[in-house]
Amino acid sequence: MARILLVEPDYVLARIYAMALQRAGHKVRVVADAQAAIDRADRLTPDVVVLELQLAGHNGIEFLYEFRSYSEWQAVPVIINSGVAPGEIQSVPGAWEQLGIAAYHYKPRSNLRALLASVEQVLEPVA
Amino acid sequence: MDVVSQDNGELRELLRAVAEQLKLPLLHIARQAELSRMNGPRVAELQTIGRSADMALGMVDAYLLGLQLAAEQTELALEPVSLSSVLNDTAHALSTTAQAYRVDVELGIAGKYEPVMANGPALKAALSSLGYSLIVAQTEPNKKQRPVMQLAAWRATGGGLVAGIYGDSLPVVSAEALARARRLYGRVRQPLTGLSGSAAGIFVADTILAAMTTSLRASRHHKQPGLAATFQPSRQLQLV
Repeated sequence: MARILLVEPDYVLARIYAMALQRAGHKVRVVADAQAAIDRADRLTPDVVVLELQLAGHNGIEFLYEFRSYSEWQAVPVIINSGVAPGEIQSVPGAWEQLGIAAYHYKPRSNLRALLASVEQVLEPVA
Repeated sequence: MDVVSQDNGELRELLRAVAEQLKLPLLHIARQAELSRMNGPRVAELQTIGRSADMALGMVDAYLLGLQLAAEQTELALEPVSLSSVLNDTAHALSTTAQAYRVDVELGIAGKYEPVMANGPALKAALSSLGYSLIVAQTEPNKKQRPVMQLAAWRATGGGLVAGIYGDSLPVVSAEALARARRLYGRVRQPLTGLSGSAAGIFVADTILAAMTTSLRASRHHKQPGLAATFQPSRQLQLV
């Protein structure tokens, strides 16, 4: 069982993803924005972060930079689960690796099984 | 860029924003259906699928008029319209989506007001579009106290009647943010950074209201932030 921090602004989707992860045996904490994610991680470091990039206020990339700036969170795997297609994000080569993005799921083309498989994959060393 | 290209560009952007927003209820349906297949369907999960389908259909219905107006660039025929009646219909249209997002919708109409010059179906579409965006964007449904969204009508001190959507738990859209979003619209994915989605409904509402020679603006009512438009009272009955 792992502690998963789910950063998802849409209430209905958040419930669905949380339910899928919980039924897979994980403990899930749901937050809707970047600041709440930092606050929640501060209280209990997650084993995995599942992150939507399109958030109100600070976006997911800004959250990720801040998240990685803390030494205790640098090794926490982050799985992107976003409505933003990966091709829409222009990034500096190597930035994804620097930010420790373990997997990228584009919501319209991914599904729950694929997301759960990514979570299990990043947790293998912990399990 | 010539006028035709500019108009087509704006329509393209509106279409793109609407398509982005419509992905949301379809994602709800797809993921909920998948979850139900994985673990066996439960009544609450089937309800989610039903509500999301209704949400998508409601959005399409509301957005179609905005898209048509953006394409045709016409003004709408105005007639005397009861704001109370339109707000009531809008509250009903938004009820399923509000329920899905644990938002309570209330009507805030103190007293009786004379009809305003507007287009009834278009006004309902505009307010519904606005309502969808604000419901979806609110991020506090997990709190114990459910957020309240108020559909209100009130008399402006400078004249005219105001119809809008307000709420303490709704994302606050300032006048500056709205002006900036209108400039950025079509050029960035998230023109209103205070809202997590494309806020298509806000721009659809803008387009529809412009066809009624009014516009959406940041507003406050009973200290609650919101978005609203001002309408002129109908003088027709006064002549009688």
